[in-house]
Amino acid sequence: MNMAAKPTQKPAPAHRKADSGEVTRKLEGLGLDMLKEIDEEQTPSFTTALRSKGNVLYDEGVGCLRLGEKVEQRKFVNVGQARKFMQTVAVAAKCKKFLRENSHTSIRGLFYQLKFSLGEDLDEELFSEQSESNPLIEDLEVAIDVKREDLNLNTDRKGVVAGPLVLRDKFGGDETLIDATKQGRSGWMIPSDVDNGMTIEELDADYVLVVEKDAMWQRLNEDKFWKKENCVLITPKGQASRGCRRLISKLAAKKLPVYVFTDCDAWGWYIYWAIKTGSMNLAYLATDIATPQAKFVGVTMQDIKDYDFLGKLTIKAKEVDIKRAEEMLGYEWINRHPEWVNELKVVLKTQKKIEQDALQGPSLSFVGEYLREKIGKKKFLP
Amino acid sequence: MPTETDKIFSNFKEHSVAEFFKKNKQMLGFSGKTRSLTIIVHEYVTNSIDAAEEGGILPEITVKVDEIDKLGERYRVSVQDNGPGIPKKHIGKALGQMLAGTKFHRYAQQRGQQGIGATGCTMYAQVTTGKPVKFVSEYDSKRLVGNISVDIKTNSPNITDMVEEENPEKKHGLYLEGEFGEVKYDRSLGSVYEYIKRTALANPHVSLTLIEPNGDKVAYPRSVEEVPKKPKETQPHPLGLAVSDLVDLAHREGPNTNISLFLRERLQRVSDAKVAELAGLLNGTTPGLPAVDFNKPSREMTWPEAEGLVHAFALPSVKWIAPESNCLRPIGAEQIQKAVAAILAPDFAAVTERPPKIYKGGIPFLVEAAIAWGGNAGHVDSNNQRGGDIMRYANAAPLLFDVSGCAITKAIKDVDWKRYNITDFEQAPITVFVNVVSVHVPYTSAGKQAISDEDEVYQEIKYAIMEVARKVQLHVGGIKREHEQAERRKAILRYVQQLSRDLTDLAGKGKPDELSGRLTHLIETKYMSQIMEGKNEAEEGAGPGASGFGKKKKDADEEDEGEE
Repeated sequence: MNMAAKPTQKPAPAHRKADSGEVTRKLEGLGLDMLKEIDEEQTPSFTTALRSKGNVLYDEGVGCLRLGEKVEQRKFVNVGQARKFMQTVAVAAKCKKFLRENSHTSIRGLFYQLKFSLGEDLDEELFSEQSESNPLIEDLEVAIDVKREDLNLNTDRKGVVAGPLVLRDKFGGDETLIDATKQGRSGWMIPSDVDNGMTIEELDADYVLVVEKDAMWQRLNEDKFWKKENCVLITPKGQASRGCRRLISKLAAKKLPVYVFTDCDAWGWYIYWAIKTGSMNLAYLATDIATPQAKFVGVTMQDIKDYDFLGKLTIKAKEVDIKRAEEMLGYEWINRHPEWVNELKVVLKTQKKIEQDALQGPSLSFVGEYLREKIGKKKFLP
Repeated sequence: MPTETDKIFSNFKEHSVAEFFKKNKQMLGFSGKTRSLTIIVHEYVTNSIDAAEEGGILPEITVKVDEIDKLGERYRVSVQDNGPGIPKKHIGKALGQMLAGTKFHRYAQQRGQQGIGATGCTMYAQVTTGKPVKFVSEYDSKRLVGNISVDIKTNSPNITDMVEEENPEKKHGLYLEGEFGEVKYDRSLGSVYEYIKRTALANPHVSLTLIEPNGDKVAYPRSVEEVPKKPKETQPHPLGLAVSDLVDLAHREGPNTNISLFLRERLQRVSDAKVAELAGLLNGTTPGLPAVDFNKPSREMTWPEAEGLVHAFALPSVKWIAPESNCLRPIGAEQIQKAVAAILAPDFAAVTERPPKIYKGGIPFLVEAAIAWGGNAGHVDSNNQRGGDIMRYANAAPLLFDVSGCAITKAIKDVDWKRYNITDFEQAPITVFVNVVSVHVPYTSAGKQAISDEDEVYQEIKYAIMEVARKVQLHVGGIKREHEQAERRKAILRYVQQLSRDLTDLAGKGKPDELSGRLTHLIETKYMSQIMEGKNEAEEGAGPGASGFGKKKKDADEEDEGEE
């Protein structure tokens, strides 16, 4: 839980973000369109793509999830929508203010900025729970086609990187060069926004390795795996955040292969698929944050056969693993790969799973050997 | 039906009348302090109404209750009416002799059927305070003032301090004043307050005033200027008779009237052929029925013989012509409507008077029902919460006690009120009024405070309530719709100000006040009808998926994606 930085009140620095003017124009445009509707004696409205599951498609050409063509019109003069409409406009107006002041906050910070009474005679707050404001931020993102990071809304930082990568970070009036080879034991924490004021200055790696767990990342970092293998070593620490996924996608765009290393269970594999094709929930961002060329390096069910010692280190799959495996079998972007159908079926049949940590069984540094072998022999799942 | 009382008093031993009365107070209705006071007022008020009506006078009655000693639970009750007064020669019997009333044994639909009469009240005063009852009777050109008590050894009136005065203005009326102990005044259900209110509701031609112990005056002026027609006296129908009734009637005949003649002459719908049929059944050959000698004098009829007759009357094989139903005297839909309007001032009222029906194979009855909604309808409890009120009547006399055992209560509880837009009867501003009219009201017990659930009676009560409930439903539905429409309008208008502030901010253009004025105007003109009819709500909620406007979502997909 990020008890986000309060928006800081600073004079606008000289180096405004290149596109903040454009985002502000988009926000104003949204408002001006509504005023025009009122001039024409129509209810103010806006249109946004429908984000329900029924409108999430797999784009075979690009290899990622995206929203379909279904759109919704949101109207103020509608008993069922009036409150949400007003709230969405309040979020938009507040974001415009953040951009004008060049200050950032979290979505929780935004919620507190908007949690106030609607008036003495009304026993009602503009927002009373953050669960109300979060989805409206997504609505706004889709409606004017910007990311929340563009609206100066930060999400939790999550994910760590180390390796031959240098970034230029313009922030709070300063410019910093960040060398990801010099981040010691803890690595560089990936911010929520890796686009605005953030550029890749140098990148001299052979591939990107994403490992699910922080503990595994620390193990590999200690072994100087990224140095020995000349790779960028990233951990999303579980499900990858937007910022982490966006960084992976940007690195992939620099023609680096991306390999993902997770637990051998449905949840681990789901983390892989969210990185590769995007998730349904964030389908509206997928083209930005998906990495369709990513490959799965392990751990696989085949590994259990190939490495004798792993056979003894399996654990019983939990109900949630089984449920998710069943769900994944139903997704067309997964079940189009026979290799994955096979993997998932083995899970359902054996009801077993194995953690990536198990590869430390023979020796602590065995995991490095394992990865070298699998990557070297290109033993991947698609 | 005085027979229960009759039996009680005919059995007591002379030297212990007072003790007997004390011991049997409950049987006579004097159970509970509030209830006892109500019984007293009831006796006086019904006598007053009946007397005025018989004299063709529009009744005007003032009841005053004074607290003498709250701790001692002593109250003074005085009742003044404008009836014909009681002549000197009758006053003793009317107020000081048990079972001397002229009303007993008359088969007309009667109001004062419950009772122990005014003499019972005199006795109650005597037993609880030792004081006589004061009376002032004005009639013709006389005024009679005095005190009366019951000589309990001889069951005869004891009048003292009687003064006879001239009454040159020829005023008429009766004033009674007594002091009573072991009673209590409050405004609970079953209290004098409720009794007076309910009596006023069912007797719109009566002006009733109650002066409470704290001096508050509760007045119910009459809303109908017409004395109801006198009920027609009829002979009892065999199906309406209890064994004791039959014995009473049979024993009043002279020595030359045999049972055959008695049945034919004194009961309704009994022909020679019917007597022959009954004699055929009661000749000792029918299992379960005794032999009855139809030729012996009716005054010698024994209890078992009467029992046999009553059983034979009720046999399914014995067919009867239905009793005359023209002896029923309903209050009348119009009268009830007026009384309800005057007393409850409801927002809406519906009344029905159902046609006569028959129960137990032949006893005519009819049901009148009304529902009042809003205004002063409903009962206000001690926490000032208004809730559904049930007003039960038998022959326009309020039934205040034995609430749960009554067919009226049962019928009301069994109605599915939700069907009539009334979600919670217990919390609704509603009064349900039901009057069951019959020469033989099927009471549950001698207390005559509840109607038994004879199938036909119960059904008819329920139909009557449902009939008026349907009318109320439309009204309440209308209120609900209006309320919902107002809510819908408010649901949008309440956000106009905030939206206007944010929208002018967002667009960087316009003034919030000016914009909110225009938006409000737009909503109240162009969009009003849509909002009212809920027409533009269909597109709401884009399904279960991830939409800020839809339902709150939660699927595994959401986990850990950098939300907080």
